[in-house]
Amino acid sequence: MAVVSNDTAVAVPQVGSFTSAAFEKHLSGAPSWWHARKRAAYERFAALPMPARTDESWRFSNISGFRLDGFVPDAPDLSGAKAAQVAFAIAAEPTLIFVNGRLAGRNPLSASLSSRGVVVSTLSEAARTNPELLKKHFMAQPQKLGSAKFAALHEAFIADGAFVHVPRGVEVTEPIVLIHSVSGMGTAVFPHTLVIAEDNSKVTVVDHFLSNDQFGQFACGANDLYAGHGAKITYTAAQCWSLESLSMQFNSTVVRRDARVQSLNLHLGAKQARHESLSQLQAPGGFSEMLALTVASGSREFDQRTLQIHQAPNTKSDLFYKNALLDKSRTIFSGLIIVDPDAQKTDAYQSNRNLMLSEDAESNSLPGLEIQANDVRCTHGATSAPIDADQAFYLKSRGIPEKAAHELLIFGFFEDVLSRLENEELHSAIRDLIRKRFAK
Amino acid sequence: MSSLEIKNLHVSTGDKEIVKGVTLTINTGEIHAIMGPNGTGKSTMAKAIAGHPDYVITEGDVLIDGKSILEKESDERAREGIFLAFQYPSEIPGVSIANFLRAALQARMAEGEEIDASAYYKRLYQKMDLLKIDRKFTSRAVNEGFSGGEKKRSEILQMAMLEPKFALMDETDSGLDIDALRIVSDGVNSLRGPNLGILLITHYQRLLSYIVPDHVHVMIEGRIVKSGDKSLALELESRGYDWVKNELATA
Amino acid sequence: MSEITDTLETTMENPVAGIDQSNGNFKYDMTYDFDAGTGLNERTVDYISSVKKEAQWIYDFRQSALKTFFAKPLPTHWASKDLENINFDKIRYYLSQGQKPKRTWDEVPDDIKRTFERLGIPEQERKFLAGVEAQFDSEAAYSNIKEAVSKQGVIFMNSTEGLREHPEIFRKFFGKVIPTGDNKFSALNSAVFSGGSFIYVPPGVKVSHPLQAYFRINAENFGQFERTLIICDEGSELTYMEGCTAPKFSTATLHSAVVELVALKGAKIQYITVQNWSSNVFNLVTKRGLAHEESEIKWIDCNIGSRLTMKYPGVVLKGRKARGEVISIALANDGQHQDTGAKMVHAADETTSTVVSKSISVGQGRATYRGVVHIPKNLKGCKNNTECDALLINSNSRTDTYPAITVRGDRHAVQHEASVSKVSAEQIFYMQQRGLTEGQAMSLSVNGFINDLARQFPMEYSVELKRLIDLEMEGSVG
Repeated sequence: MAVVSNDTAVAVPQVGSFTSAAFEKHLSGAPSWWHARKRAAYERFAALPMPARTDESWRFSNISGFRLDGFVPDAPDLSGAKAAQVAFAIAAEPTLIFVNGRLAGRNPLSASLSSRGVVVSTLSEAARTNPELLKKHFMAQPQKLGSAKFAALHEAFIADGAFVHVPRGVEVTEPIVLIHSVSGMGTAVFPHTLVIAEDNSKVTVVDHFLSNDQFGQFACGANDLYAGHGAKITYTAAQCWSLESLSMQFNSTVVRRDARVQSLNLHLGAKQARHESLSQLQAPGGFSEMLALTVASGSREFDQRTLQIHQAPNTKSDLFYKNALLDKSRTIFSGLIIVDPDAQKTDAYQSNRNLMLSEDAESNSLPGLEIQANDVRCTHGATSAPIDADQAFYLKSRGIPEKAAHELLIFGFFEDVLSRLENEELHSAIRDLIRKRFAK
Repeated sequence: MSSLEIKNLHVSTGDKEIVKGVTLTINTGEIHAIMGPNGTGKSTMAKAIAGHPDYVITEGDVLIDGKSILEKESDERAREGIFLAFQYPSEIPGVSIANFLRAALQARMAEGEEIDASAYYKRLYQKMDLLKIDRKFTSRAVNEGFSGGEKKRSEILQMAMLEPKFALMDETDSGLDIDALRIVSDGVNSLRGPNLGILLITHYQRLLSYIVPDHVHVMIEGRIVKSGDKSLALELESRGYDWVKNELATA
Repeated sequence: MSEITDTLETTMENPVAGIDQSNGNFKYDMTYDFDAGTGLNERTVDYISSVKKEAQWIYDFRQSALKTFFAKPLPTHWASKDLENINFDKIRYYLSQGQKPKRTWDEVPDDIKRTFERLGIPEQERKFLAGVEAQFDSEAAYSNIKEAVSKQGVIFMNSTEGLREHPEIFRKFFGKVIPTGDNKFSALNSAVFSGGSFIYVPPGVKVSHPLQAYFRINAENFGQFERTLIICDEGSELTYMEGCTAPKFSTATLHSAVVELVALKGAKIQYITVQNWSSNVFNLVTKRGLAHEESEIKWIDCNIGSRLTMKYPGVVLKGRKARGEVISIALANDGQHQDTGAKMVHAADETTSTVVSKSISVGQGRATYRGVVHIPKNLKGCKNNTECDALLINSNSRTDTYPAITVRGDRHAVQHEASVSKVSAEQIFYMQQRGLTEGQAMSLSVNGFINDLARQFPMEYSVELKRLIDLEMEGSVG
């Protein structure tokens, strides 16, 4: 529950466009098994106040940008864009395509995968085929990073989402690609991806978020990753909403014994975006790798809040977030590592690097540590610096013009995050996406 | 002359027994080599004698000149004359070698007595020169950023300064190239004498060509199964440990 | 948690005046024997101002500060909730003559006596430090220094005298580096301040001998609400030291000092503090320096005592090429919370700031680092380097780090690094195997950890510091 202790801000809970009338309309179109939960979520949403200036978890954030008016939940897709214009090389045959929050297309899994019990379906389908699993894992993780109100909004208004389940011992080598696209002025979508990898399984999931037009939209999405004993999950989220949109994204990762989860979050779109990521190392031997790359341009703002919690001994987490800031953009990175008293022999790392590419760009870093076990190795670091002048000169002295030299150096800046990806195809596909983004 | 008696020593770590009854006596002036395959208990035995907290002596005794040391803390055993040359020496950031050794020597002096600084440094430099360690190393933090060879030489320097009665040298040759091996061995040989007994633990015969032992013992699965003189080491080199195992099996 | 209140026995012994009498012009008005009592209201301020015979502008300043103090909330939305245990109504904000807190030597705890012994504190100082005697007879030592520096034109006096004798200089800078409303506790100090130093160093004068506040602490409130203002004029240099490694007893549970430093063009100020207040004290200090062009302000801070210390020395880098530095060592033992850090605000081109903070948490102690680095737009060429390292000794100790770094523009380089580590069992065993006891091994490791920083303290302090840390570590093992 977000704690709000505002002495000066107005503490009136606001709902914007998400009035109870809008909610009732939404509920009438939702399956009945979901009604009770959604109603409870709406009540929470309506009762919680908006973030206040004095909230530590919203420090430095431009709070006035998180307005909830002018949005249309459950907007139908009028553009007829079933298979979205996807400029993402790896998405040749996405398994699921959502438009405005509802399933609009799919490509079936290969026979070998489905015969081994791998399921990639919608949440609605999963409610029929795997109700127990869904009930246990859907929105089951705590909201510790300040957005309880928006998480409640998500649960209240979500139309549908993706459900990925990999049974014990099954290894899925081909990435499972999920497209979430949005169209229409002011459309509000609530994308959701739930990945459950049972013991010793392996899976790669890619979420691609994009707008089909240039209108301003509102995306309030969640993705939850669960890695069982010895499982391995590789997750990539490429956020490419229109440049006028407001984006909120909540990620949580649960890492069980000897499991490994790598998640890479790419932020290329939206006018103002907030991303919260929680990693819980719950059992010995677990490893969570949290990566992010952001290209901030114009007067856009990217707010990233993370939490690495070590709850068991011998666990490891490694966070590596890089931001490239151009024009008048702003970034906020707030990362906390918490080590519980019994989590001896924890290895926890956190690094935030900001590449300042213009004189009006602003970076804010709040790397934090709360350590209660003493046999640990924890480091964190944050740097903000421009392109290395010596490096730039060296390239130019070899005949490379300034703009190209900068581009090379910026890609070099991103490269050490991208090189953590094992899948080469994914690596080049993402590099391509970034390149296209820069070309705009 | 002093003696270090190991009597029917049993050592466990966690609930696993590793040393299963070793009996051995080392007198000052003697060099005993312990050889054996990996995991056989050689290092464990040395660490247990030095009082390492991870190892428990479940049976048997260790005596210096007839008096048991098992009730003593590890630092007390050190002051009684035991020196463990570690296989992986720890780094101690912020603590210079000079200060560290001085503290260790001061700890051996009687209450109220102070180390004579100039005599100390004179001796330290003398030993460093002997071991071909650059005098600038005195201000470096103990083992911090040292290569494998530098760490081992640093262990020998400490041995030279602290003048123990019994040195337990745990795989001193591991991580050393041929040149480093020679320097370290020369250092050890220069310390040889009637007042020092050495237990040399090694997997390979190579070291024993430089530091020639008086006795060689083979340890397999926690027990000493064969003893001999330096020629035993050469036989092991050519015939391997399996030869000893087979010999035991058929016996 | 129970409320903390002051304990006090009024006594009519100790006729030594609470106001420093070394300046012959001021006379203490004997008709005022009104007891300011506990709790804080306008009358307390009336009393303080009249006892000190202050000018109207100071009286107004105090009353206005009092209003600000009442209006501001406790900063518990980010700070320790332990602050809620301060009962402002039960505190004495001014001790007049005859109200010196006192205890007999027998009442002094044994471990304090032992510490004095081990640190080699001279006999006559022990009684003062332990709260047995109200005033340390330091007049002789003090007047020698005062004479020596006054020959160079340096003004070195108590804040009350400074306000009276040099209002033009005082007023120019007083309350400008730390405005009353900066935080609740700076407002409190602005209302009831008493004692503290006022120093002015004329242009070009390099004060050769460090000036010590230690000699300045006399009976006046035991330094409870000290206000210090140091101004170094162009090209001058000064080192100032306060506190001592010996544990200082205080019945006053709330200490809220304010220190303002002004370094004019090319000046250099080095301010060294060693804090070892007794374990009942809330030590909430606001310290800030204003560094003009090409000047340098360096805070060297060591926090060993108190129940809760909240202190974030800062430098506002106002002039081009100004330099600010904070070096901090904190030791938090059982029942202690050292909440320290640094605030570096860059307000001119080519300014540099450096923060090095090392903390040691022992037993159930808690060490927290809070930092702010701010580089706004339209500046160029600024640099900041922050390093904060924490050493944890026992599995119950705790350490937190909360820095906030804001950088605008592409012409600066900012770097922050923090690490947490422990003294490992392997390291201890290694040293024990060389004959050191566990306690000796621990103390060697800990001293190794702070070695580089300890060397920045003047010689006498760094030796005492190491000894003190050894003592603190002794209980931690086993």
